Amino acid sequence: MPKIEVDEQAFYRLAGRAIGEEELEPLLAVAKAELDGREPGLLKIELNDTNRPDLWSTAGLARALRVYLGGAIPSYRFFSRRGAPQETGGRSIVVDAALESIRPYIAAFAVAGRSLDEAGLKDLIQTQEKLCWNFGRKRSSIAMGVYSSARIAWPVRYLAADPDATRFVPLGLDSPLSLRRILRDHPKGREFGHLVERFARFPYLADDGGAALSFPPIINSAGLGAVKAGDRELFVELTGTDLRSLLVAASIVACDLCDQGFTILPVAVRYPYDTELGREIVTPFYFQEPVAAESAYAGRLLGVELTAEEAVRAVGRMGCVAAAEGGRITVTVPEYRNDFLHAVDVVEDIMMARGVDAFPPLSPADFTVGRLSPIESLSRRARDLMVGLGYQEMIFNYLGSRRDYCDRMGLPPDGMVSVANPMSESYELVRSSILPALLASEAVSSRAQYPHLIFEIGKVALLDDSDLTGTVTRDNLALLIADREAGFNEVRAHLAAVFYYLGRECIIERTSDPRFIAGRCAGILLGGRRIGLLGEIHPQVLDNWGIQAPCAAAEIDLGALL
Amino acid sequence: MSADLQSLHPLEIKVLRADGSELSAAKLLGKLGLGIGQWNQATSWLLGKGLLEEKERLLRVFYELTELGEAQRTGGTPEERMLRAAEERGAMSLPEIAASAGIESREAGSAFGQLSREGLLALDDRKRVVVAGTTRSKRMETTRALLDRAASGALEEAALSAEELAVIAGISRKRGAGSAAFKIAEREEVVYRLTSEGEAARRQLAEAGSSGEEIGRLTPDLLASGSWRGKSFREYNIAVPPARILVGRRNPYAEFLQWVKDKLVSLGFEEFDGPLVETEFWNGDALFMPQFHAARDIHDVYYVKEPSHAKAIEQPWLDRVAEVHESGGATGSRGWGYRFDRDFTRKLILRSQGTVLSAKQLPKARIPGKYFGIVRCFRYDQVDATHGADFYQTEGIVLGEHVNLRTLLGLLKMFAEEVAGAKEIKYVPGYFPFTEPSIEVHIRHPKLGWFELGGSGIFRPEVTKPLGVDVPVLAWGLGIDRMALMQLGLSDLRELFTGDLEGVRLRRRG
Repeated sequence: MPKIEVDEQAFYRLAGRAIGEEELEPLLAVAKAELDGREPGLLKIELNDTNRPDLWSTAGLARALRVYLGGAIPSYRFFSRRGAPQETGGRSIVVDAALESIRPYIAAFAVAGRSLDEAGLKDLIQTQEKLCWNFGRKRSSIAMGVYSSARIAWPVRYLAADPDATRFVPLGLDSPLSLRRILRDHPKGREFGHLVERFARFPYLADDGGAALSFPPIINSAGLGAVKAGDRELFVELTGTDLRSLLVAASIVACDLCDQGFTILPVAVRYPYDTELGREIVTPFYFQEPVAAESAYAGRLLGVELTAEEAVRAVGRMGCVAAAEGGRITVTVPEYRNDFLHAVDVVEDIMMARGVDAFPPLSPADFTVGRLSPIESLSRRARDLMVGLGYQEMIFNYLGSRRDYCDRMGLPPDGMVSVANPMSESYELVRSSILPALLASEAVSSRAQYPHLIFEIGKVALLDDSDLTGTVTRDNLALLIADREAGFNEVRAHLAAVFYYLGRECIIERTSDPRFIAGRCAGILLGGRRIGLLGEIHPQVLDNWGIQAPCAAAEIDLGALL
Repeated sequence: MSADLQSLHPLEIKVLRADGSELSAAKLLGKLGLGIGQWNQATSWLLGKGLLEEKERLLRVFYELTELGEAQRTGGTPEERMLRAAEERGAMSLPEIAASAGIESREAGSAFGQLSREGLLALDDRKRVVVAGTTRSKRMETTRALLDRAASGALEEAALSAEELAVIAGISRKRGAGSAAFKIAEREEVVYRLTSEGEAARRQLAEAGSSGEEIGRLTPDLLASGSWRGKSFREYNIAVPPARILVGRRNPYAEFLQWVKDKLVSLGFEEFDGPLVETEFWNGDALFMPQFHAARDIHDVYYVKEPSHAKAIEQPWLDRVAEVHESGGATGSRGWGYRFDRDFTRKLILRSQGTVLSAKQLPKARIPGKYFGIVRCFRYDQVDATHGADFYQTEGIVLGEHVNLRTLLGLLKMFAEEVAGAKEIKYVPGYFPFTEPSIEVHIRHPKLGWFELGGSGIFRPEVTKPLGVDVPVLAWGLGIDRMALMQLGLSDLRELFTGDLEGVRLRRRG
């Protein structure tokens, strides 16, 4: 979840009035936000709705509260629409055909009218970071650059450039580097290089005079791409892989800056290939379709009577212009939002506008029969028997290391489910047996009074080609005795007792297994099928675990007894 | 009786309670019915406890019957045998009478001399031994009495009369006693007396009526013979700490999870379960999480290495879910508007959320229906006190024609009250990719204060309709681990899965 830091004064100014601490916390619920902390003049706020990137900035959050508190729904006049482009004043971006398969989309606008102060610059950088990291999936689908626009020679060219021949001075360095060297030598190159390194040509933004703007989505140039407080004219561009997300992100930044008193100047983007919105898109661009919802449907989902007029008033507090007709409302989606997929999304805005407290809880009235799963019922019977036999129940983790599951057990990893992207060697295999966990427990418990009788009933997973997933999950029972006297016969007797009371006969056959002493190991059969093993743990295995006490153990597929 | 006295052994009690101020083996063994070994044991314990002290050590002289003496006791002394022979067979020469009575000739002379001096035998004119008188001398009678008495134990010098001492002196030797009837033995004996604490103990034992004759362990023999009747039983020191017992026991965390399961069953929920390995399809796609969603990054779930993909996804669910992602299908949604990746959806992962089972339950769920699962999930998280590599999630769904936001709140209220014991409840709008509206429930726990008990919402139609459900479905999840930690007095989630046996043995629910 994104967290932002908000300048308190700027925030209250944009929200229309100061908001006291008592009032702020419940109010933030309207934005699914929580106050995470406070410093003098600074609010730390956590935003929980990942579909509302418009709330991840000072201006965006303030706008939501301002409208909710009764402020007018803002009307932004700089948006182009289908068939109604804005005047661009000659500002345009020409896109290279080769980018279609690399990073096909770009949206941009210029900013003028007042100078950017220190707090505004800081906030703009924060907005950029949150948008590109959370909404833009760590710059893969959205990356953003801000430039001082006074010296830009139009049109700007969005190019697919030769990684080795193209050179410029990146922000933070003094000398020019090739795009490829930037991936290797610049910290941002190392962090985000994986997004472009597989391509033969890299995205590159330069002005008509050939001056570098940036290497999207990696780094700005140290020249045009350096922005400082006091700049009066800015150029903002966003590149990405998903046109609609990109346009929404650009709209969010534009609306935020507009709210702060800047003038937004549209830019035309010219593609040599088709996009879903045509070959020329003047951005910021409004593409959202209206969303309709029946007020009766909303009422049913919310458990209240609701008229269309009431619904219109409610979504209005959430910043949405809506119209009622018959029993239906039609919502015009705000420019900075793209989270209305279905009528339920309108229903939620109605709920948020009214506040959850406006909906009294009602006990569910339907009668249903409660029931445990069959394996849980069986497991409980088995657990009771194990406890009666004097065993302590244990619960262990299901992920473990090759060292524990294979090396120490003297087993190859055959048949085990292994993790392709383990966070560490300690969690690279899903357990296929409970025995390693029981032995790991014994290995750290030598100071506990003997005898040790422990067991676990839990899941294991194994490769199994007969299932669609190529794996199978089983519910196993495993038990271990560690004691001077621990032996095959005791475990056998305990198993026989468990089987007897579960209504089964414990039939065994001689077998061998590297984990057990040869000649003191048996397979456990049910209906002729092997469902488990029992025996005395091999001293080499005990040695591998650093265990000093003799151990006898058994493990069965408990689910087979169902 | 004081705790110290309760710890006295019956032997000690017997000695403490014996009559008299001088306690010695000689005086008490017979009276108390003790063996010398028991006596030694009891006195050494009492000395150790400071209840007894040594009064003095006495040298005591005993006369013990030798083998010769034993033979004389049963067969008669030479004098007795000679006298009897003379009386029975009449006059004989001395060698004749010695042979007849089985007396060696050297003994025969001294025996005859003694008897003739005491006027019992005499020589006639033909030098034959004849009877001269019938009254046995005092000396002979004393000798006989000493022999007979010594049969039941050595004779102590101090217990003999002056006359007896005079007689026994003639028939006893200190060394070379093979030729005498008695051997003289000297023994040192310790005489004890009670200390003042011992006197106090004696008084207390007397007051409590404790004699040391009480029954210790009630045995089958005592029951069979009935000999316990009329006797009392030795009191135990019940202040002694009990021995530690290793009990067979449920794991307290498992017990807590079972308690939650029972609670949910009692509220009408049916339990579901499922495999640890799932597909991206069920773990995310079926829940209408777009494939490009941030939470579906490589760094948020564990992927299975081999096989990396399921062979197929069950139909018709695959086609329907793909359609709803791309265009919304027949759900009334516009969908996410991207090209659904049918390879990605087959990717195998370790289940990252219990909601996957809620999704899988939808095609087979009853309406109305309530379902839950407490299932192990895996998250790509750095393992620390608040994050485990795998952990339990508690999740479920409620299906019904008439469920809505208000019944969702009612359900959360029921959980808060029944499962968490909360009285103060707060509902906050939340965000989950698969529910709309979404609600978080916060509670004021009696001990933990305000915290988020769970997340919930109404499943989006994009989730339910492709899976064949046309009624609203409430989906909920409860975070019960904080309650578990609190109940078990723990602060680290890793402790819930510990292998430390002693720790688990001692752990209990608060």
